[in-house]
Amino acid sequence: MSTYTKQQVKNLTEGKLDWDTTMRMLSMPKDNERFSIYLDVLQAKVPWKDKIVLPLGPHLYIAQSAKTKQWVTKCDCGHEFGDYRENWKLNAAIYVRDNPETMRDVYPTLMAPDTEWQVYREYYCPECGVMLDVEAPTPWYPVIHDFEPDIEAFYSEWVNLPVPERAG
Amino acid sequence: MQAQNSPVQVMGIDAGGTMTDTFFVRKDGRFVVGKAQSNPEDESLAIFNSSEDALAHWGRNVDQVYPELLTCVYSGTAMLNRVVQRRGMDVGLICNKGFEQVHSMGRAIQSYLGYALEDRIHLNTHRYDEPLVPLSRTRGVTERTDVQGTVVIPLREQEVRQATRELVDAGAKAIVICLLQSHKNGTNEKRTRDICRYELSKMGVDVPVFASVDYYPSRKESHRMNTTILEAYAAEPSRKTLQKVSDRFKKHGSKFDLRVMATHGGTISWKARELSRTIVSGPIGGVIGSKLLGEVLGYENIACSDIGGTSFDMALITKGNFSIISDPDMARLVLSLPLVAMDSVGAGAGSFVRIDPYSGGIKLGPDSAGYRVGTCWPESGLDTVSVSDCHVVLGYLNPENFLGGAIKLNVERARQHIKAQIADPLGLSIEDAAAGVIELLDLQLRDYLRANISAKGYSAADFVCFSYGGAGPVHTYGYTEGAGFKDVIVPAWAAGFSAFGCACADFEYRYDKSVDVAIPQNGSDVDKVTACRTIQTAWEELAAKVIEEFEINGFKRNEVILQPGFRMQYMGQLNDLEINSPITMAATAADWDRMVEAYEETYARVYASSARSPELGFSVTGAIMRGLVPVQKPTLPEDPEEGPTPPKDAFLGTRKFYRHKKWVDAKLWKMEALRPGNEITGPAIIESDATTFVVPEGFATYVDKHRLFHLKEVKQRPTHLREVK
Repeated sequence: MSTYTKQQVKNLTEGKLDWDTTMRMLSMPKDNERFSIYLDVLQAKVPWKDKIVLPLGPHLYIAQSAKTKQWVTKCDCGHEFGDYRENWKLNAAIYVRDNPETMRDVYPTLMAPDTEWQVYREYYCPECGVMLDVEAPTPWYPVIHDFEPDIEAFYSEWVNLPVPERAG
Repeated sequence: MQAQNSPVQVMGIDAGGTMTDTFFVRKDGRFVVGKAQSNPEDESLAIFNSSEDALAHWGRNVDQVYPELLTCVYSGTAMLNRVVQRRGMDVGLICNKGFEQVHSMGRAIQSYLGYALEDRIHLNTHRYDEPLVPLSRTRGVTERTDVQGTVVIPLREQEVRQATRELVDAGAKAIVICLLQSHKNGTNEKRTRDICRYELSKMGVDVPVFASVDYYPSRKESHRMNTTILEAYAAEPSRKTLQKVSDRFKKHGSKFDLRVMATHGGTISWKARELSRTIVSGPIGGVIGSKLLGEVLGYENIACSDIGGTSFDMALITKGNFSIISDPDMARLVLSLPLVAMDSVGAGAGSFVRIDPYSGGIKLGPDSAGYRVGTCWPESGLDTVSVSDCHVVLGYLNPENFLGGAIKLNVERARQHIKAQIADPLGLSIEDAAAGVIELLDLQLRDYLRANISAKGYSAADFVCFSYGGAGPVHTYGYTEGAGFKDVIVPAWAAGFSAFGCACADFEYRYDKSVDVAIPQNGSDVDKVTACRTIQTAWEELAAKVIEEFEINGFKRNEVILQPGFRMQYMGQLNDLEINSPITMAATAADWDRMVEAYEETYARVYASSARSPELGFSVTGAIMRGLVPVQKPTLPEDPEEGPTPPKDAFLGTRKFYRHKKWVDAKLWKMEALRPGNEITGPAIIESDATTFVVPEGFATYVDKHRLFHLKEVKQRPTHLREVK
């Protein structure tokens, strides 16, 4: 098994890790301490003090509130979307591309999907405006709840770390 | 040492990334090996230093010996490294309009070439290397030749002129032209080449032009394009290096013409037009050397095995011939070059050893410590256990005399790493963990070797196994034990065997061309004659190119021995076979029948006679022309046998050696001091500066008059059975 430095993991999250190391990471079994290093790297990047429990995307996290110990979904600007078990998308700013004109921003004419069949729904942070997610369902499909992570099992059975404290 | 009166005749050079080896052979068959640090800035200097190192063994120097030499063959990794590190010439590419991206796409397969199976099936690891020619220096021109070779869209000549000017402006130092189906009909491509050259001369710039039709007229566009690009990208810079090497030889009074080992198993002049086929040469040298040894010793079937630090390469010689593949991949590029067929597995003496956290099993490689040996070398900066660490801990290797004492190994450091990373997690003692690693590697190599022989329809009992490479002799017993080879041979010069093999290669040019000929089983005589005409035309075209190459080196047409060949398959089958043609000229229906006969004979040997399918008819897919002129080759040393008991001064003492769950005292012998006829029974370790030959309990070896070690398994009756009687 290989081990990696915090700097290497930082480069990985920023897409700057050299290819040889990236390739080794991909082809070797995962190093035990990767997740905790990864969390440290992410924690150093966000401006807030709440402890990151699980990253959900490039700008979105589940974090433990420093004050209340509740787990909330949180943008890296600090905006909170509510309890981590709720679908955060319902509290996000939404932009829907459901006609050929708006699709043209993404693809040239005739290369975009037929919006009768498929639309794009883009989710933005209402506070800082960063794009957090895009989904591409049929027009009538409800807002997708991506997943409900079993964080307790992940910490105790997969990465062998103590489960962070949680209120509520 | 020996008498000094025998002249030195043959020199082989193996210029690797870290070390430059030279190999000198005297007329009486004695040889010396020299080593020096490689010097990428000036290879000729490294070769000079290495030569001085070698010749010092005979108390001679370069100025005395170079003028005596009859022949010298170079092989090296510089060109390969230039490609791998993308440090080649700035090339411009002219292709068909609309096909500008094809080169970067590399048939998709280039995104995972060279990967271990686990990584191939893991899509995330797939990655496209930077293309040899960027899109910014690629221009498309309108034209089209269809698969039958008919021009369906004429060349838009104005576009060629414009493309040429744009490429020069974009900084192209050479221009490569590769158009669709040009192997079938080269008219448009040749026209493009001529216009391009004319335009360049009008611009007054000195930019060489390479058209694929002049170099590699073979089907498969990506292969042909890559190979032609390599010619400009990597081979031209190498030509300058070789010129420098040649100049230094001349300065010291040499009279020979420097030759380079090529992928087809022959050597070519550094002035040769198709120099990109010298991109890989080292491992091929071993196969050529094995073939020559086989001819001298009378072995027709040989399994060649070469273990280095990172890989295990094997090749089969059957009925005195090695096989050639025509579209190999090298350096993660698909190429259309004839290459001596070899199989490689990424497990070597330097492979890293890890515990798979999911299965709990030992996992070897696929990466390796390479020149950094392992954690036993404190200066390596490594902290992952390698196979070499296990060898050191178990007493296989002498920690004080690794690479002739060039680096000192720390046994205790290796022990601690093995304990923490392998032994403790598995609940084993350090010795058993290390021995387990060695057994696993030996098992993998043995299975691989055996599978490769049986997959081709042969039995190991018909083969003699040659084992060489720096690390080969350490493992020989392990990967041959129980495999049932007729004989197992380790040459005393195992570490320099590739360089030796290069020196054994003929001066031989080989040109290939795709042809399309198909005749049913009972084809008419008229059809057969037409087929012969197509083949004969191709042979003549290729022969002209071969002779032209020899003329560059001052040989005359009548000095060149021409050997035509062809690739044939049953119509509709996927794999063709390369056949040495039984006829020197194809003209009549009877000629065709003889070609078919030769093909079917080979087919029956390679597969089975019951698998022959003449009812399908026959296709010829390629024409081949080989031309050679005889050169001086090394002769094997021959000494009188002196009886089984080794001389006293060969004995170096004993070392603790662990195998099969117990420590024993292995006798140590100095390889150079052993005499022909000497016999050594294991446990014993035979050491020289460059290699270590391990003979464990249950094995014995003797040195023959050619300084070849024959390794045998000796049947020992288990102790309790001996006591019963």
